Amino acid sequence: MISVIGIGWMNGQEYGCILKNIREFYSDGIFPKKKIFPFSYKNIGRLDHVSKLTCAAVALALQDAGIACVPEHKHDAGIISTNVSGSFETDMRYFRDYLDSGRTLSRGNLFIYTLPSSPSGEAAIYFGLQGPLLYIAAGNNSMGNVLKTAADMLIDHEARVMLAGASEADHAFYFVLKGEAYSGGNILCSYDDAMKVVKKELCLREMVNEFLNLRKGITVS
Amino acid sequence: MIPLNIPDRPPFYEGEKAVVVSCDMITAYGHGADVCWKGIMSGRNAVADIDRFSTAAFPSGSAAMVNGLRYLEKDSLVLQMFKKIFDTPSESVPKDSGLILASTKGEIDLLEKSLLTGEGEASECNLNNLLEKVSQLTGITGEAIVVSAACASATAAIARAAAMIRRGYKDSVLVAACDSVTEFVYSGFSSLMALDKFPARPFDRSRSGLSLGEAAAYALIMSEARARKEKRRILGEISGWGLSDDANHMTGPSRTGDGLSLAITKAMKTAGADEHDIGFISAHGTGTVYNDAMEIKSFKSVFKMEKKPVYSIKGGLGHTMGAAGLVEMIIALRALKEKTVPPTVNLKDPDDDARGWASGNQRAAGENKYGLLTNAGFSGINAALVVG
Repeated sequence: MISVIGIGWMNGQEYGCILKNIREFYSDGIFPKKKIFPFSYKNIGRLDHVSKLTCAAVALALQDAGIACVPEHKHDAGIISTNVSGSFETDMRYFRDYLDSGRTLSRGNLFIYTLPSSPSGEAAIYFGLQGPLLYIAAGNNSMGNVLKTAADMLIDHEARVMLAGASEADHAFYFVLKGEAYSGGNILCSYDDAMKVVKKELCLREMVNEFLNLRKGITVS
Repeated sequence: MIPLNIPDRPPFYEGEKAVVVSCDMITAYGHGADVCWKGIMSGRNAVADIDRFSTAAFPSGSAAMVNGLRYLEKDSLVLQMFKKIFDTPSESVPKDSGLILASTKGEIDLLEKSLLTGEGEASECNLNNLLEKVSQLTGITGEAIVVSAACASATAAIARAAAMIRRGYKDSVLVAACDSVTEFVYSGFSSLMALDKFPARPFDRSRSGLSLGEAAAYALIMSEARARKEKRRILGEISGWGLSDDANHMTGPSRTGDGLSLAITKAMKTAGADEHDIGFISAHGTGTVYNDAMEIKSFKSVFKMEKKPVYSIKGGLGHTMGAAGLVEMIIALRALKEKTVPPTVNLKDPDDDARGWASGNQRAAGENKYGLLTNAGFSGINAALVVG
């Protein structure tokens, strides 16, 4: 059976996780990294905006799932992401910057974020996620597809735990799913229940509220 | 902590076999798998000076490009390539097939065109738009998704297709993959100092970077049952796959090769293959110092009993990025059929680590059951396939 054992999310104003029932506001522009990340993240300043949001949402999701992360330790966990626009904002930034230089110099530290899989790549590096890493897009059904692919990978023993979610320009939202090979974590809901919520195609705040409703009655150890 | 382990053989192991029943490709060697195979076997590389955009500011000025494509015109480079290979498919593609499109940058030249000439919308380069175009070209009405996993995109897409078939979700999936040589991509790899000013020399002592290439390719993958029912010619089987991440660095591979070894071990386990079953290795073999060294280190850690013949086709047709895994799978199936391990084009003097593994000469393949393919990409992504 595939279960959801944690959810983390962040947008430009607030962040939170579901099982631990955390929902906090933060001042726009002041990224609350000390409150969110479990250990020092010295290089976070070089990440693009979407990667920062992604890493924060993944940090909160893992915290919600009770998965402790320490530097240099790797996990049998994968990550699958999606979004609406791919890496479009960074693509524009990179190529405009290159054109502004007179088509002579381009910036490698922008270029590396012109892949839609890069934000989850940053999360994999910081948290030591050594399972499969993919970006999937499927038109209007992308989130459902990501969740289903993650569940399939757990059933097929491709990893013990999978993170699945969306990394948009203004928010990130990640599930932690587990299969039978991982005994840790409190169960928020089944995969089927999570899919029912995802299929409603809600905005971030509505989705958070739906999962907070599912949480009612659960005692978190 | 979630301990790392090599998973048990998955529950679908006894499920349907995923077999390749038709394929095609267009590369710098020309149109068709046969043309590509002959080009590689000739030892000739297809790398040439770039005339699409100025390379005066870059340390390198060459790439392996497809002849006859028009740059910054109505159709993107990858759409032009897809139109050529889907114009006359070698076998019919069932409309009810699933579709998986693999790419890193897809139609990024549409963004370039919009910013350089003011024509069109930059946002047209969204991979979902290309997915829709490929659906229309192929007539596929089934479920369609984009898979992007850096330069392991096609390998990951093939793995997903095979998993869908093994689990019985689908009995026919078309995997299409593409990427092109554009100023956007070329300037980026140049900024990372990843390009060799000479044609790439994978596993060579003097290698100093990769050559970019472009390609579009497809493979129609079916359940063995449906392939036999429809009397399709079976070109080979996707027997195993494994995906992993180094979790180490955005652009450089792990020096230990542990992440790739994990992907290879997963792939062999899925296939039920042991060391002796693998006849050759189609390596990622980009020609960068660190990638090739990491791969050899990984191969040595997995294959302890004997050296395996290793080759890379990227010296011949360049690094085709998101398409690389699919082009390489098609060539590996041909190598199995011909019982011949292709040469690594441009490899003259193997690095010490690669001696006895990689060679610039073609070699006879043994009677082993399988070929192993490896790919890697930015974000530390690793992917491996076992084909038979």
